[in-house]
Amino acid sequence: MLIILAFGIHLSSWAQDICANEIQGLVLDLDTREPIPYVTVIVEEERSKGAITDAQGIFKIEGLCQKEFTLVVSHIGYKEARHHHDSYHDHPTILLASDDHLLESVVVEGVYNQSSLQTISIDKLSNEAFSAAQSESLGELAGRITGISTMSTGQNVVKPIIHGLHSNRVLIVNNGVRHEFQNWGIEHAPEIDPSLAGSVEVVKGAATVRYGPDALGGVILINPPKLELGAGLEGTAGVVAKSNGSSGEADLQLSYGSDNLVVGVSGAMVGQGDLQSPDYVLTNTGKQEYSYTSSLRYHRHSFDLEGYYSHFYQNLGILRGSVNGSLEDLANAMESEIPPGTGPFSYDLNNPRQEVTHDLMKLKGIYVWDNQDISFQYAYQLNHRQEYDVRKGTNNEIPSVDLKLATQTFDVDWNHPDLGRVNGNMGLQWLYQDNNNVPGTNTVPFVPNYNVLRAGFFAVERLLAGNTTYELGLRYDFQYNSVRGRAPSNEIYSNELTYSQLTGSAGLKQVFKDRLSFRSNLGLAWRPPNVSELYIFGKHQASIEYGLWRYAYDEEGQISVSGVLSEEDKYVNPEVGIKWINTLEGEGDGNHWELTAYANMIRNYIYTRPAGITNTVRGAFPYFIYDQGDALFWGLDAAYRLELTQYWKLETKASYVWAMNLKEQETFINIPPARVDAGLDYHRKSDFLSSSRVTLGLAYVFRYFQEPRVITVREILEAESEGQDLFARNNEMFDFMAAPDGYFLANLSWSAAVGKWEWSVRVTNLLNRRYRVYTDRLRYFADQTGRNVQLSLRYRI
Amino acid sequence: MFKNNWFIACAFLIPVILTTGCSDKDVPDAENEEEIITKVQLIFSPAEGAPVVVTALDPDGDGPEDIAPSGPVVLAKGTEYELFIKLENTISNEDITEEVEAEGDEHLFFFGFSEGIFNSPAGNGNVDSRADVVNYLDKDVNNLPVGLITAWITGEAGSGTFRVMLKHQPGIKSTTSESTDGESDVDITWTLNIQD
Repeated sequence: MLIILAFGIHLSSWAQDICANEIQGLVLDLDTREPIPYVTVIVEEERSKGAITDAQGIFKIEGLCQKEFTLVVSHIGYKEARHHHDSYHDHPTILLASDDHLLESVVVEGVYNQSSLQTISIDKLSNEAFSAAQSESLGELAGRITGISTMSTGQNVVKPIIHGLHSNRVLIVNNGVRHEFQNWGIEHAPEIDPSLAGSVEVVKGAATVRYGPDALGGVILINPPKLELGAGLEGTAGVVAKSNGSSGEADLQLSYGSDNLVVGVSGAMVGQGDLQSPDYVLTNTGKQEYSYTSSLRYHRHSFDLEGYYSHFYQNLGILRGSVNGSLEDLANAMESEIPPGTGPFSYDLNNPRQEVTHDLMKLKGIYVWDNQDISFQYAYQLNHRQEYDVRKGTNNEIPSVDLKLATQTFDVDWNHPDLGRVNGNMGLQWLYQDNNNVPGTNTVPFVPNYNVLRAGFFAVERLLAGNTTYELGLRYDFQYNSVRGRAPSNEIYSNELTYSQLTGSAGLKQVFKDRLSFRSNLGLAWRPPNVSELYIFGKHQASIEYGLWRYAYDEEGQISVSGVLSEEDKYVNPEVGIKWINTLEGEGDGNHWELTAYANMIRNYIYTRPAGITNTVRGAFPYFIYDQGDALFWGLDAAYRLELTQYWKLETKASYVWAMNLKEQETFINIPPARVDAGLDYHRKSDFLSSSRVTLGLAYVFRYFQEPRVITVREILEAESEGQDLFARNNEMFDFMAAPDGYFLANLSWSAAVGKWEWSVRVTNLLNRRYRVYTDRLRYFADQTGRNVQLSLRYRI
Repeated sequence: MFKNNWFIACAFLIPVILTTGCSDKDVPDAENEEEIITKVQLIFSPAEGAPVVVTALDPDGDGPEDIAPSGPVVLAKGTEYELFIKLENTISNEDITEEVEAEGDEHLFFFGFSEGIFNSPAGNGNVDSRADVVNYLDKDVNNLPVGLITAWITGEAGSGTFRVMLKHQPGIKSTTSESTDGESDVDITWTLNIQD
């Protein structure tokens, strides 16, 4: 478990003489983060050297002859921690886990460049909450963090929403590498297995300056488990079974760390059958997934080399009842009590389904000097997405979307030496991407082939003045796109596009007395229009979409789609957003609270709006055009944690987001509704168990109250039969169905451990409630899943 | 040592990627569009004389232009016709009739028409209820009707509507599957005039 604390600044200098090395560190309780005094710290290689922590939990050992050594940290009632240290790294912070704790003690060093933006707070789940959610999808797991919600297409396809934004406006950084996939599609979930991750963190500010384009809403960071030098053989193996979907999961992680080399391997697999709502089976919602990783870290003096490879495979079923060929079908599906095509429970995966593989290979070298460090990282990713739709006969066996996206990235990061009270880092990021349609789909490609070449340079500098840190960042990006596609007639179109943008970030962090801190950041972020937003064309489910360059207005103001446009016909500006985020954080006796307020204004915001109805061979269809507006999002996140007694803990959180298209003075669809969560936790060591924890979680999600007008499918069909086009005069946003009512959910869990064994029982949707989620695209067709009982068993080596 | 090797590796890496990258100009292969039907043709063929042919053409497929059914279907009163249906994709010149025929076990045509406008079948067709009579002349491998060929006998002079609906019912086509089951591939309504 890797926990990143922004722990201080680089040390100014280390003595180089023999037996003049020293080490200083901090020891905290893993749970409370309170300092632990009287902890024994011994240097294994020089047994006579050691120290005891003071009242602030700080220890200092001087006169060490070696530059690299192993620290052994021990204290009564706590699990022993071992840490291989060298003088090139920051002061370690040692987080000791109590004996009755499920987790091991961990050591944290100032980690290079994890987030060089210190004026944006980083949110993450507690260790218990993270372990409990690791068998969920990445989107669901991230959705447990305050202010994050999910955009889903049924239960298997889940994407994270940060402060109302998702897909191309949320950047996912997996293992230090921008996760590059077909992110434009709402029904394309990130191909990352959180069961093999070490931690998941969320940067809720516009962190483009540090991470590059697309980070308009924020960034999700997925960190691998830390590879600890000198740790010997470590590992864990677990199995999970869930009643809903009758699923089984297994995972295994092993690592061996010597003084210079750490190797790790891990693997996980999942098999799931049809899920169940309280009243019916959700036919074709099974899934199959497996993933494996191997990692290597070589350490020699001031140099670290890291290698990583991971493979991820998933085959996800999508609710059969969500398939429809026309508005008539859609109306039938929406009106039927039980989704059409519902059958008995099965593990079979039929169409529609998605089969995706993602490979990631990376190599990273870090060189650490006394007062600076530099890292080089090269990564190669291959994302292969195949989507199988319900089609005619033999076409069922071939995908209707078959895309291969290969991405290479090369990053250089330099933490430069401090200049007085100024510290900072700068870097270069280079990306080359090749997207190809695999031939043989028997349908004209939805998106064209394209190549992207992007180069960016950034610098972030910080000035420390007393309790205040000022931060300023600048970035310049250049992007070149080459596009080759085919129109429905199979005619070829092509284009070459260039974009460039200067972005910046300014912020401050103020630490007050009484453990109160304030962060404020104003960040400028951008993203060039995605190729799909420019060129998408055709029918998907019960609607037809035309990309920005696939439609034009003729002299009579009618939409025509005869040609493929370019920047000369219609200039499409990149989206540029400015997000102001403020966080006030306080800590008192046994309580902790955090309040975040933000506003995000996005110019040239790309979205789809209804533009009319067309009558086709299959019947009538509404068609949607891609358009640009100016969007404003603002909202609040709040979290409060209170230790009621020695055993009882209360945790509450709430979030709210408001969204508006200022250009058209109208609201958007699919914005997450307000939500309140409360959790009560009882943690006690009993006589025969080394740990026992019972948690009751309650959540209430409100009805979305900014919803656009509702026009039912029947109303559209009726108007059509009378020869009226409902959207010709009024092309305001609309929804086929009203937003679902608010709902209340309860979860209950018990986790315990004896020795190296841990187990847990978790019940989600305890009351077996029927409910629908506003940001789930399948809410038109089916209820969410009913009660689910999950059993898990884990062994730690 | 390591540091130097690493720098050298990087220095070689970038130019290689840059050059291979920028020379890629591949266009997606042409695909046979088998998803979209843009032209539906009804051929009413009497025992004697020229057949009555009507088409419905949607030249832009998924484009915003509406489908245009050509004129009314004009049939003679009290006459027996065989109706052949042809489906095409005119954008990529694909004959979809063959596909429906080959995959007959998952396709079924439904017909809806003004009550009593035909002597046979009587009634208003099977769009509203599968049990209603339609005279199918073709069968799939499971001995269930398909509807690419049907038989009709017109009634007295008059006018009304004639609706043709093709449903894709993979795995669910049966003797009782309704027009609300499965996905619509075709749903077009013509004006029908029966003349003296």
